[in-house]
Amino acid sequence: MLDSAMAALASLADPSLLIMLLIGTVAGLIMGLIPGLGGTGAVAILLPITFGMEPPQALALLIGALAVVHTSDTVSAVLLGAPGSASASVTMLDGYAMAKKGQAARALTLAFLSSMAGGIIGAVGLTLAIPLARPLVLSFASPELFMLTVLGVALAAVLSRGNIIKGVSAGLLGLILGMVGTSPTTAEERFTFGSLFLGDGLSLVAVALGVFGLAEIASRASQRRGQKQVITLGGGWGQGIREWLTHWTQVIRGALIGIWAGVLPGVGATAGTWMAYGQAVATAKDKRQFGKGDPRGIVGPESANNSVEAGDLIPTLLFGIPGGVPSAMLLGMLLTYGIQPGPSIITEHLDLMYLIVWSFAIASVLGALLCFLSVKQLAKLTKVPFAVLAAGLVAIMLLGSFQEGGQLGDLWIMIVLGAFGWLLKSTGFPRAPFLIGFVLAIPLERYYFLTDSLYEGFDWMARPGVLFFLAILILPMIWAFIKFIRARRHTNVDDGHRDEQPEDDEAPLKNSTWSLVASGIFFVAFAAAFIASFSFSPEARLVPQLVSTGGLIFSGILLFIETRRRLRDRTPKADATLAAEAEGILDTQTTKAGWTLDAKFALKTFLWMTGFLALTAAFGYLIAVTIFIPAFLLIVARARVKTAVVYTLVLYVVLLALPSLLPIDLPQGWLNTIV
Amino acid sequence: MTVLVAYAPAPEGREALTEGIKEAHLRKSDLLIVNVGRGHHDLDEQELQELEGQLTDAGLALTIESSILADPGDAVIQIAQDRNAEMIVIGLRHRSMVGKLILGSTVQRILLDATCPVLAVRSDKL
Repeated sequence: MLDSAMAALASLADPSLLIMLLIGTVAGLIMGLIPGLGGTGAVAILLPITFGMEPPQALALLIGALAVVHTSDTVSAVLLGAPGSASASVTMLDGYAMAKKGQAARALTLAFLSSMAGGIIGAVGLTLAIPLARPLVLSFASPELFMLTVLGVALAAVLSRGNIIKGVSAGLLGLILGMVGTSPTTAEERFTFGSLFLGDGLSLVAVALGVFGLAEIASRASQRRGQKQVITLGGGWGQGIREWLTHWTQVIRGALIGIWAGVLPGVGATAGTWMAYGQAVATAKDKRQFGKGDPRGIVGPESANNSVEAGDLIPTLLFGIPGGVPSAMLLGMLLTYGIQPGPSIITEHLDLMYLIVWSFAIASVLGALLCFLSVKQLAKLTKVPFAVLAAGLVAIMLLGSFQEGGQLGDLWIMIVLGAFGWLLKSTGFPRAPFLIGFVLAIPLERYYFLTDSLYEGFDWMARPGVLFFLAILILPMIWAFIKFIRARRHTNVDDGHRDEQPEDDEAPLKNSTWSLVASGIFFVAFAAAFIASFSFSPEARLVPQLVSTGGLIFSGILLFIETRRRLRDRTPKADATLAAEAEGILDTQTTKAGWTLDAKFALKTFLWMTGFLALTAAFGYLIAVTIFIPAFLLIVARARVKTAVVYTLVLYVVLLALPSLLPIDLPQGWLNTIV
Repeated sequence: MTVLVAYAPAPEGREALTEGIKEAHLRKSDLLIVNVGRGHHDLDEQELQELEGQLTDAGLALTIESSILADPGDAVIQIAQDRNAEMIVIGLRHRSMVGKLILGSTVQRILLDATCPVLAVRSDKL
């Protein structure tokens, strides 16, 4: 064990690995600054670059980025009061308050040091998890692995924020989408509609970049103006270091909470940091300073923030069930290299495991160091308006998802899924279970058939491991049910400690026509999958039909709830006061429903993306970029002409040079085929 | 000085409010209401205005405050410390041991963590 750990460290002395780690760290820091990208965006954008690399180099790059995304996202939260990611909004509470007092440096010192410590503790946690889980993992056979994949999707659906029914529906739809392509058991094509390129299944990068990346761009592209505030770092570096040392217990506690939040599928960095904040408040005797610049309000959450990503890796690598969205993509990457996470990674690729651990720890230190050195420059980057960034991001994301299969069809799918992801985001559907379901669909089916062929009937259900996982599967559901009942009876006022983040406006179109439409789409998709699966052979049909039946039930419930709500709002109430009250509700609902400004803008952004893709298909990528970027910058982002010209030129040169530096292909258009 | 009432739209919360108003008049203290219910079930406007009038007649002030903290127990304690409240009034109801074990109890947290006297009122009196 120790041998492989040391061997992995020695292998990091390889310059190519170190360079990759450094590149990953810098890329991660920059992407942490861009609002909405986070770990998911960082992995999704970097993943295409790794396609031509060896596994160790690829892992060093991705882990380097993943480890530090949450180190730099603090910068804008503290300096500008505009969090770079949802999880940094916790740090904003106390960090921005400190900055307003002219002590931004103090807040940043606390945040960077805690991020670093969180990353290191997370890496230690990952190391300790390997020997602890090893005997357990090695005793797993296909029934346990099957249960684990079911558990992965189910827990992600139940634990994700928001409505459980919505979570389960999203998870099941992800499973169906993951089954597009060749069936793992019978090698027949499913849901491909005779299309050749769908035969390989949907590309993971396209799905992730669509549902998360493009959706995020569409919902934020309306931000034309950057932050105009003057940035002052102020003093307090030394004070920050001293305070950080006095609050070391908070650092460790935060990191442990982060690891735990990471291990649970579907509980990501956002929930983890809020849990750490709640914990810091609960254990503090004097609570007066929280929200007004308490160092404990920065230290714990920042530490948790980074250790979440390490915690995510524990179930991903050891059990093959991703703890979060970024690690789901990492899992997908490992699978394409033929590295099967779970029992086989422990026996055959232990060196890779330790490489991940070391990369994570080193990147955490490196990330904090780089942040200290370049905080002024980083702060300037956060002042760029999102709409300006969006133009380049769209071009990069489309290029990225082209790399996996080299098919333009992937890009069309990506835009369609982007629109779908935007709908999910704005109507309050959690997207994590969707992607986790997508990644786990094929393993789930494969393990099921292995189990089915190795065991007689339902004998496998009696294995202790399976029973244990069944219990874990059922308990959260009972828990959720009890909470639901208590909430209905209004007897839950006294219920326990609440760490959850306050209700935010992340889902502005909740309870509107949009969410009715979203439920409708879900229902129709499941129904179509159900009907389409009748044409498959019995083996290939079984799992899709089970999943779509479940999906039909859950989306049916959703549809029922949504329609009932709408009908109830329409019927006038007899009682005068009730009528007035209902009118109040109706008023807010009618303004919510229909074409809100954001919805219009999102639709426009998607039309822009479609236009870009159409240009690419016609004239090739480079020409499309030279038309799309300046047009988008001038019309949508309303940038200055000079900015647009320089921006386009720089991007053009970079793109021209890129294929010779990295194994990247630029999409060719219809024009190129003629010439 | 102020008396802080932890209000929730439930019998316990109502009982706490009545008792808190009494206490404010008795101590000649201002009244501070903190909403601890899930969601935004605040007191309705009309009732608040009546209450405010009643208090201003006695020369006292009414304030309603909320906290950024998600946990209602922590929120109540933070505001009490911040406003230097002389007393917190909460309503409580019997909870089973198992219920408290599994779901925890906000009231218990306030009782144990508060840095000022706490008046606990039961809603299900004899």
